[in-house]
Amino acid sequence: MTSRLSGTDMIAELVLATIFGLLLLGIHRKLIARIQRRPGPPVWQEILHMLKFSFKTTWVPLTASRTLFVGVVLIAIGIWTAAFYVLVSGGSLLVILGIYMLHKIVEHGFGLSSGSPYGKYGGVRSVISAASEIPLFVSVAVIAVYTHSLDLSSIMQYQQVYGPLLFTAFPAACAMFLVILSKMPFGPFSIVEAKELVSGYKTEHFGIWRAGLEVCNGLKSFVLLAVFLTVFIGQLTLPWLLTGMIILVVLLAFSCAVTPMMSPFDSVTIQMVVTGLMLVYAMAVLVVMHP
Amino acid sequence: MASIGGIPSYILEFGDELVYFTPYTITLFLLALTFTVLVIISRPERQVDIAFGGDAYRAKEISLSEMRFRRFMAIACGLASMGAMVTGDIFNFTLFTAMVGITNVGIVAAVKSPHVQDAAYQYGLVALSATVPLFAGAAVYAAATGSLSMIELMKGTLPAVPLIAKAMLVIGVVGEGMAPFYAAKAEMFRAPGAPYVIMCSLSSLLIFLRVVEVVLLG
Repeated sequence: MTSRLSGTDMIAELVLATIFGLLLLGIHRKLIARIQRRPGPPVWQEILHMLKFSFKTTWVPLTASRTLFVGVVLIAIGIWTAAFYVLVSGGSLLVILGIYMLHKIVEHGFGLSSGSPYGKYGGVRSVISAASEIPLFVSVAVIAVYTHSLDLSSIMQYQQVYGPLLFTAFPAACAMFLVILSKMPFGPFSIVEAKELVSGYKTEHFGIWRAGLEVCNGLKSFVLLAVFLTVFIGQLTLPWLLTGMIILVVLLAFSCAVTPMMSPFDSVTIQMVVTGLMLVYAMAVLVVMHP
Repeated sequence: MASIGGIPSYILEFGDELVYFTPYTITLFLLALTFTVLVIISRPERQVDIAFGGDAYRAKEISLSEMRFRRFMAIACGLASMGAMVTGDIFNFTLFTAMVGITNVGIVAAVKSPHVQDAAYQYGLVALSATVPLFAGAAVYAAATGSLSMIELMKGTLPAVPLIAKAMLVIGVVGEGMAPFYAAKAEMFRAPGAPYVIMCSLSSLLIFLRVVEVVLLG
């Protein structure tokens, strides 16, 4: 994944990653439906959504902060495009972590910019559930303790010599899985898109703006799953990478299908408990590795 | 010479003071810059409130004087965030972080709502208290290593930084706005004036992301 690419190749990779990410979200949705004994939509439903919204009538609500309303869509696509290229070039995991956390700000911006009370509360929930990011920090710290680097290329080299981190740092992998779970739709921690808030932070974004948001979601899913596999399994060939991502989506779909959505208070409490456990684990790793 | 955020691609020295860009800090700097530009060119939204138990709703208006003051504070917050992202000096980092805390209070304290002002007051107390460990952390850095330069720390030739200094720095930054103090900030986050309110959460996240790099240096 660290080879140099021409501009056309990079754009082609970006488009394919987005489409595959949307397909993964479709598989996720279909699996949840089948587990719950519903027929569910076809697996390409999210791709159709993105295309459908691209050609729908577009407007900006009268009450919205117009520049922010539009700008935040471009920022959302921009930050995940940057994350994708950091992943492809084997760059720093810390940059991807930073981008992941800044996605909260984007959700907050989506919600507040429209002036809608539903969007506003979706955005506020997004910010107060920032506790879900702390286990990610601890995972990253544990990886740094083992590999002495946060470059994805160095992490992959470490795993070629010492084997996958999935086995040596299993709790860190679980914590990162939980972080990805908190970003999946219809999951136990999906409080930002709860039905009592209509569609949460994205309620007022219609037409091309929603299509942009769908692109961002597809790219985000692809990047997060690929980062998980790269960090905890190591370098994979493309067919194995895609297979691994599908397996991860199946696991996530099961987790989402059998777990009810929590209240915002419970969601944050559980994430804080996991954070506490991960901090204890990180301290233990630090003591063992550097006595 | 490489920090955890990558190899510095550009170092600008002003005597003891210096600014440096790594792939990590340049990413954070550009994000702070983008949102600051958004603050400058955006007008605030008109928040719609639904009356409880009925179909009535109303849009809140923000007065021009309030909007001007909050925009000024949000721009100051953006500039402080940009400074905190690229500075190569621990003391300057703590100064910028403290300024982010002050401007965050300023962004929301002008909102004419008792709930929001209460939250701003509570957050102000937390941020004020957090400056003690924040500056104490920088002082312990200087006492233990004899330097506040991040570039010198990066070289690995200085004595090791005590864990307590790093812990105090992190506690200070957490007090300036990160979880679990979000409980106090929740009221602030739903205040009207989206471009300005977003600067509160953005600046808090950015300084937290930068402090991760700073504590991993020495």
